[in-house]
Amino acid sequence: MTAIAWMWRTTLGAMLWEIWGRHSGKFGLQAAALAAGLFCVHCKQHGASEVLGAVLLLVSWCCFITAYLQLLMCCAYVELDAGKAKVGYPGRLLLKPVSTARLVLTPMVFGGVITSPILLVWSEFVLKPLGPFPPFDSVWALMMLLSFFWWMQAVTWSLPLLQTRSLILIVVAVVHLLVAILPVMPIHPSPAMQWAMAAAMLVSAVPVAWMGLSLMRQGSWEGTVLVFKPWSENRLAGLWIRRKRFGSAFGAQFWLEWRRLGLALPSIAVASILAILLIGAVVKRLAGAAPPPEALLSIMVLVPLAIGGAMGQGMANFDLANASLTLPVFISVRPMTNGGFIMAKLAMALATSVLTWLLMAVGAVCFLALLSKGSLPSNPNLAAAGGPMAWVVGFGLVFIFLVLVTWKNLVGGMAAGLTGRRWILTAVSLTKLALLLCVFSLVFWAKVDDSFRSRLLPWLTPILAACLTAKVAVSIAGFTLGLRRNTTTVAAIAWMVGGWLACGLFVSGYAALACIALHHPELWLWLVLGAFLQFPLADLAVSPLALAWNRHR
Amino acid sequence: MQLRISMQDGTPIYQQIVEQIKYLMAAGRLKPGDDVPPIRVLAEQLRINPNTVARAYLELEREGIFNMRQGSGTTVAQGKPVLPRREKLRLLAEPVEVLLTHARHLDVSLEDVITLVRERDAALQPEVLK
Amino acid sequence: MKFPSPSSAEAVIAVSGLSRRFGTRAALDDVSVFVPRGSVLGLVGENGAGKTTLIKHLLGSLKAQAGSVRVFGLDPVGDPVGVLGRLGYLSERRDLPGWMRVNEFMRYTQAFYPAWDESYAAQLLEQFQLDPTQKIKTLSQGQQAKIGLLTSLAYRPELLILDEPSSGLDPVVRRDILEAIIRMVAEEGRTVVFSSHLLDEVERVADHLVMLQRGRVILNGKTEEVRRGHILAVLAFAEPRSGAPILAGAHAVAGYGSEWRVLFGGSRLDLEAAAAGIGARVVEERTPTLDEIMVARAGGKGS
Repeated sequence: MTAIAWMWRTTLGAMLWEIWGRHSGKFGLQAAALAAGLFCVHCKQHGASEVLGAVLLLVSWCCFITAYLQLLMCCAYVELDAGKAKVGYPGRLLLKPVSTARLVLTPMVFGGVITSPILLVWSEFVLKPLGPFPPFDSVWALMMLLSFFWWMQAVTWSLPLLQTRSLILIVVAVVHLLVAILPVMPIHPSPAMQWAMAAAMLVSAVPVAWMGLSLMRQGSWEGTVLVFKPWSENRLAGLWIRRKRFGSAFGAQFWLEWRRLGLALPSIAVASILAILLIGAVVKRLAGAAPPPEALLSIMVLVPLAIGGAMGQGMANFDLANASLTLPVFISVRPMTNGGFIMAKLAMALATSVLTWLLMAVGAVCFLALLSKGSLPSNPNLAAAGGPMAWVVGFGLVFIFLVLVTWKNLVGGMAAGLTGRRWILTAVSLTKLALLLCVFSLVFWAKVDDSFRSRLLPWLTPILAACLTAKVAVSIAGFTLGLRRNTTTVAAIAWMVGGWLACGLFVSGYAALACIALHHPELWLWLVLGAFLQFPLADLAVSPLALAWNRHR
Repeated sequence: MQLRISMQDGTPIYQQIVEQIKYLMAAGRLKPGDDVPPIRVLAEQLRINPNTVARAYLELEREGIFNMRQGSGTTVAQGKPVLPRREKLRLLAEPVEVLLTHARHLDVSLEDVITLVRERDAALQPEVLK
Repeated sequence: MKFPSPSSAEAVIAVSGLSRRFGTRAALDDVSVFVPRGSVLGLVGENGAGKTTLIKHLLGSLKAQAGSVRVFGLDPVGDPVGVLGRLGYLSERRDLPGWMRVNEFMRYTQAFYPAWDESYAAQLLEQFQLDPTQKIKTLSQGQQAKIGLLTSLAYRPELLILDEPSSGLDPVVRRDILEAIIRMVAEEGRTVVFSSHLLDEVERVADHLVMLQRGRVILNGKTEEVRRGHILAVLAFAEPRSGAPILAGAHAVAGYGSEWRVLFGGSRLDLEAAAAGIGARVVEERTPTLDEIMVARAGGKGS
């Protein structure tokens, strides 16, 4: 028997062959990303301007993150069991006459062996030469990335239930991030301690995976109550089960959307509040003084905004258990207009934003009360604003603003996902990313190059106005087409347009106040145009049509 | 009223019902004046289309065997069915033809067939007289 | 109780000339089906014949690429609310939200149909012996089929569409489901369309039959007429034959030597004439079951 034939017959060979067969296209993407990264480095090293350098840095980081996530997906050895809506170790392998240790070690070691050189190459040849950030060891970065990879495998294999697993994965990711940036933090333990921590995290993933997989194999998870009692679906369901009938179809659909995703953002908000309070308390204990409240408050504010943006993709889905974009039958058969479905989603997004920010407000108050002990109110800038009434009004305006921005993040990108075609979603996401890069480079260029800035500024108003006109035109087209095809109702359109105008006007007023306060009245027009551009109208107009395209193939 | 429907049989379901009811009457298990289950109940019991049962009942009413009344349900008709002799013979002609065709295929002589008919009639008779 | 005569019924479903391709494969080819009010239509055919595709067109989940589909006189794609509000549907793979509990799902569905009858729903719940607080993903296949059927029957829809209602179910559950369907059929004016592989059930319950094969309608008529239009006969030849005899109008021929069994589509006279034409005589005949007809016709010539 030749060596190759022999190799195919081993477990490792079989796994290699399977992964190659499944993901061969994606490895091509990996190679392309790496090539892009190397090209950026090459350009940078052969003299690129500051602006271009920043853009290249951004592009290579995007490529790296994509490549890393791809690697995770391909080598993770995780399969979707559509019948039971579980994601985990390929079920058919659990029945093979192989020890659990072998089942655990083979993919982990094999995954490590494949990803380590790739990650080392990235770290040495692309990330380090490119920029000042991050200034640490390749091996350190490798250990952190590999540790996260192994922990992700361990968690995914051990916990069959979707919601708990996502929460735990987020916690694991956050812990890894915190440990990873330790070397650059002002206060950090000794290098020996750092390496020990990294090694411990890396190695401890293996027994956790082994235990989890053995429990899975023995069927210990079947029918058990979840580990985290507070997150137990039974409890939460008990909180939200309505005894009475729903008043209307809209109410029922809102309830469905709420039960599906409504508590996701608020729970992440609560988790982040608790995490920040914990970190604050720990730092206060270790370093004697509390960390600057402004910094931590800004993190608190940023988390729901960022997560809201990430969750935007999930809004287009109707059934969490089924990750594909096609409509489940029990939705497509409901006698409800497509516009009605969209309205329920919009209402749910608003409700979840309001709840999230209420919780964050409570958390901020706790944080101020417990940790900064009055250091914020004594801040001279804020005291100059004048009186407790101004405080409350200011607080209220900020609250409404954050709610609207989170809502915008949640519903802004629904239309692409609602079409039910993955290629459209990918195309739209890539286009948005490209647009973002263009805008970023223009802004950076304008910031750095004064002559460019003075040439650009007169064009800014016409460009924004043109974009706004295009947006309104698309919206009108979308609405009329929707009415003609019977996919929306006049009421839904009224709500969408009214909401858009209200958001835009609110931010205009807010911007007016800010411009006056900061003494830059000329910015006002741009801010207003920007606000009307940012809040979704065209997307909402197109959403019912997109849903109709999905529902009636 | 216990009926059995067979899918393997070549005869249509409604006809099977009609024949079985006639058999039950001939065997004395269904007497004149007895209540007959409503169409819907029989359809559920036999797990067949109510239209089929309705058709059978209509056929039986046409032949004067059933009495279908609005409100008070269906009963077996009193007395003998009122049909002209010609009609009765016409109704009998088809089963006779089937019998004779079978006999011919099996190469059974007419005398044997008549003997068989007499035997089966004698076997049926005591039940009716009870 | 009156049962509407065919002449007074309007077509609840009117499909005419419907064609549908998926890529290069023709899933439906010039299909025309008319279902009068109050009738039960049985849709039969082998796997992949196009039954589910046809049903999806009735629901508006698929747009007609050629031809037209009208349910209650409305276009299911153009007016989804008008059509879907009056019909009930049970899909083959059930496709229920696993995370909902039984009572939650019932409450959710109720909000969409003003005609929902709470007492009837409660009665069905008890009849089907379902625990209202159980999560749908923990229900067995049969129980999932039952809850799917319950939420389709509770608002007494004018049209009930069932895609393989008995698939994967044990005989006890099949019996329950069939009884529930018949109870609904017995109510005035209700129309039922169901596709099934269990031809025994189709024969019992269906008035009309449509048989699809590779996207084409090969049988369309009253159940009885379909059966009576076929004869399962045994032909005897004077001498043993080496190969199967070719008989015009025969859908399946099997046998050996001098006796060959044939499933013939046509009247008895046609059969005798055809048999005489190839030098055979009919020694045995009976009406075939629907099962035999379908297997013979689906298998093409010879089996």
